[in-house]
Amino acid sequence: MAIVERPSDVLALPSGDVVPHDPLGVFARPRAKTGWRAWVSTVDHKRIGIMYGASSLVFLVMGGVEALIIRAQLAAPGQKLLSADLYNQVFTMHGITMIFLVVMPMGAAFMNYLIPLQIGARDVAFPRINALSFWVFLFGGIFLSSSWLLGGGADGGWFAYAPNTGVVFSPSHGMDFYAIGLQITGIASLLGGVNLVVTCLNMRAPGMTMMKMPVFTWMSLVVQVLLVFAIPVISVALFLLTFDRLFDANFFNVQQGADPLLWEHLFWIFGHPEVYILILPAFGIVSEIIPVFSRKPIFGYPFMVFSGIAIGFMGWGVWAHHMFSSGIGPISVAAFSVSTMFIAVPTGVKILNWIATLWGGKITFSTPLLFSIGLVTMFTIGGLSGVTHAVAPADTQQTDTYYIVAHFHYVIFGGALFGFLGGFYFWWPKVFGYFLNDRRGKHQFWLTLVGFNLTFGPMHILGLQGMSRRIHTYRDGYGFNFWNMVSTIGAFLIALSVLLFFINIVRSKREAASLPPPGPDPWDARSLEWSIPSPTPAHNFDDDPIVTQLDDFWHRKYGEDEQGRMVPIATADEVAMVGDPSRSHLPAPSYWPLVLAASFPLIGYGLIFNMVLAGLGVAVLVGGMVGWALEPADDEDLPPHGHDDGEGDGDGDGGADTELPSVDAEPEEVTVGD
Amino acid sequence: MLECTRGHAPQVVGRTRRRLPRWRPALLVPLGLVLAACADKAPLDTLEPKGPEARTIDHLVNPVFAIAGVVFVLVQVGVLAIAWRYRKRKDDDGSLPPQVHGNTKLELGWTILPALLLAGVGGASVLTLLDLEERPADALQVEVVGQQWWWEYRYDVDDDGTDDIITANDLVIPAGKPVALSITSRDVIHSFWIPSLNGKRDAVPGRAHPLTIEADEPGVYRGQCTEFCGLSHGYMQMRVVALSPTDYAAWAADQQKGAEVPSGDLAEQGMELFRTTCSQCHLVSGEGGNEQTREDAGIEGAALVSGAAPNLTHFASRGVFAGGVFDLWVDQDGNGEVDPDERGQQLNVSALEAWLRDPPAEKPMYPDGLRGMPNLNLTEEQIDALVAYLETLE
Repeated sequence: MAIVERPSDVLALPSGDVVPHDPLGVFARPRAKTGWRAWVSTVDHKRIGIMYGASSLVFLVMGGVEALIIRAQLAAPGQKLLSADLYNQVFTMHGITMIFLVVMPMGAAFMNYLIPLQIGARDVAFPRINALSFWVFLFGGIFLSSSWLLGGGADGGWFAYAPNTGVVFSPSHGMDFYAIGLQITGIASLLGGVNLVVTCLNMRAPGMTMMKMPVFTWMSLVVQVLLVFAIPVISVALFLLTFDRLFDANFFNVQQGADPLLWEHLFWIFGHPEVYILILPAFGIVSEIIPVFSRKPIFGYPFMVFSGIAIGFMGWGVWAHHMFSSGIGPISVAAFSVSTMFIAVPTGVKILNWIATLWGGKITFSTPLLFSIGLVTMFTIGGLSGVTHAVAPADTQQTDTYYIVAHFHYVIFGGALFGFLGGFYFWWPKVFGYFLNDRRGKHQFWLTLVGFNLTFGPMHILGLQGMSRRIHTYRDGYGFNFWNMVSTIGAFLIALSVLLFFINIVRSKREAASLPPPGPDPWDARSLEWSIPSPTPAHNFDDDPIVTQLDDFWHRKYGEDEQGRMVPIATADEVAMVGDPSRSHLPAPSYWPLVLAASFPLIGYGLIFNMVLAGLGVAVLVGGMVGWALEPADDEDLPPHGHDDGEGDGDGDGGADTELPSVDAEPEEVTVGD
Repeated sequence: MLECTRGHAPQVVGRTRRRLPRWRPALLVPLGLVLAACADKAPLDTLEPKGPEARTIDHLVNPVFAIAGVVFVLVQVGVLAIAWRYRKRKDDDGSLPPQVHGNTKLELGWTILPALLLAGVGGASVLTLLDLEERPADALQVEVVGQQWWWEYRYDVDDDGTDDIITANDLVIPAGKPVALSITSRDVIHSFWIPSLNGKRDAVPGRAHPLTIEADEPGVYRGQCTEFCGLSHGYMQMRVVALSPTDYAAWAADQQKGAEVPSGDLAEQGMELFRTTCSQCHLVSGEGGNEQTREDAGIEGAALVSGAAPNLTHFASRGVFAGGVFDLWVDQDGNGEVDPDERGQQLNVSALEAWLRDPPAEKPMYPDGLRGMPNLNLTEEQIDALVAYLETLE
């Protein structure tokens, strides 16, 4: 069925009362454009993206310190740097921090910032919900991390297998923080998921059909769909755990007949799609970077898109490969073994398409490209070791050993994080208006690559030599000593490389004043975000871009000559967008997302420590909802002819069906999904 | 560079170590080197099968490693060679390279070919998997029970429904005979894993999971709990001790006898102390044990969350104690891991004394939460007496 699509201008709602007033006498609609007030009240997807990125980097440092402590403990046999109890907390919190508070929000940073730009929109579909999503994530992350100061972190592993996470076996509050904290960050993911799915489906610029969306946006869409379906599963599991722990329920009480495999299934039905939630944004990023620095279009665009979708679908049918030794029976194991084999196919298609994109190109070895090639090569290692786990009988030897630790670090660090680092170097000039120094960037790349392989390469060997995961120490005489020491040295090299990244940010910023600004299109790139000034203006696009083909912006710069070869026909500056932004309407800032988000940790602390606090949190939650709902749509940017559409608040959620504003482009009907 | 200390390998008398022909692909070349150099000292090595089940897995995984190695080399070399071949030259004229958008045949090819390859690997995996699930009819049946943080083994020798042998830490089996394990747990999830004999299988409370193991030769095969099970997960270790069929028969007969009243004052004091101090949790059956004491006091099982503490009836016949963490017997040089047949050397008195003095200090446990052994505040004299008594429990 064809979907008839209108130009996406729902943001530019003609609405609102021009006279500002205090909603419920609490907050005036915030007006600050600069300073901290502007940031805490922002609903701008770019600022939210930047805050996601900054938070993820802060949590990266925390998770990294935890990793260094782990590696210091394991550097030699019989170390007593950490007690067994503390070690269990540190490795659990390292996993939770890195997955939920680093890689997921770092992906969210790129997706928030780039999706609207790549589809030619002014913002996401629901800007206030976007802000809410970020604040809920941040408060959830702070809530989880605060457990260190309130009696200790979670100690049941990020996978938290029941019944070891019950009160009897984990009496500290750590697992309560885990269950409630992940519930909170899950709310953030769900909000973001719904928001960005709607954004991708409804907010594309005129002419941008689904199959003209950049690959990054496509992969992001797949990720958000996965989130919308995966998060509810972990939410259910976490509710069961929370009720077991706080209210003496018996979902995982074996004495009352519970089967602990229930948790395993629920956790991994979420947990395996989660792996693709972590990696697909990075796949999207390198799919943007490699064509630009090869000066070629992405090879096999439709195959790139459909392999991503295939991964998204197949990702739901492989969860029990985490449970090959759990005793689920040979038939289940056989089925999941085979399905896991086949998920390697679309992944391999992606890798081969990236290689084919490089083939025949003119490759510039910039830092973003180096990180992208790093992803292709390192992820391949993780993918291949993944195939060896898919061989279920072999997995019974490998699972829960360091071979698995090596595997998923090659996937998540060698895959996702390499992609994100490349993405930082690639889009930094677009976001902040200055380049990250390329020479230091290359130093950082090589240091990261060497440190990464020294840390995680030896873990393949340790795992096959039989070193179990999650053991707080090991004994001399097992052949573990040498490679553990190598791994620890590697971990500290990674720490140095992260330090170099931060140094590069600061020094590049300082040096930027004496360098020419990057201009709209410093890399001769392909997608719409490069058609607008750097840093991106608040309103993104002066006019709605009209899209006619994939890589539309690039095709405005290059056309065919008489022989049919592509030659430059215009410079980026000539085709960069010049328009009249004065009519552009931006969603008004709001404090309510912050208020609403603050209620969640209050409820969380209350559930753990004192129900009065939880009551207060519920009051804030309800008050926040009421304030949010009654917040007037006053907006000084509105054209004075505004008429009130009742609840049109700039979010587009209340008034998407109101009349279209006048835009230069004639509204045209575009057929999608044919 | 490579760290290759001697010793700690299962010492198997009169047996020549077979070196399996192996070809490790490039990904694992360093591994191959290290293993070739150090195989003797990696007792948990997953690539040194010592029994038919582990060998079946090894035979499956070797070609998979080889295929993965070839793909690895092709992709890595391919990426680097292509990136280098198509680098932008110094004399680049700025023109665009050919703008290739894709090639459907190529795409179909590299979708279908890997799929076929993986289908082959998947088929082999499934066949091996079913093969490993077969339960030999003549197998010795042993129930394996995990609890924080040690393993118990229960043998119903005469198949009458009651367990005749209950032991801990060391799983004693006859070499060359399949052993059908039934694995379960009394508290949280654990995982039973003897890498040289078979893959791991989780011990889940409320469920019994089958696993077959067999050792080719007599020897000691080490293992480690591999499902995170809380505080002392790293210290939950176990061994399989494979004996020759005659030795095994002798062992099994011996294990079914109760403890005799020890001779010697100190050991007798120890027995009295054991009856008063240790009966809440531990059982020693026989005349020289505490069965009567426990019966009089109405004690069943142990006053722990898991409801079980190691049965100590034949404590001194084991090679390790405290969840496999400490060697019970040492040789003249103080080295542990002495084979059962080479017993009769020295009891590891210092480790045993340290354990009795303050167990949670030796191995992390939660005695306050009834998980693990508490500090009983024994005096040195009491400790000496208990050690003397325990040594008699052969």
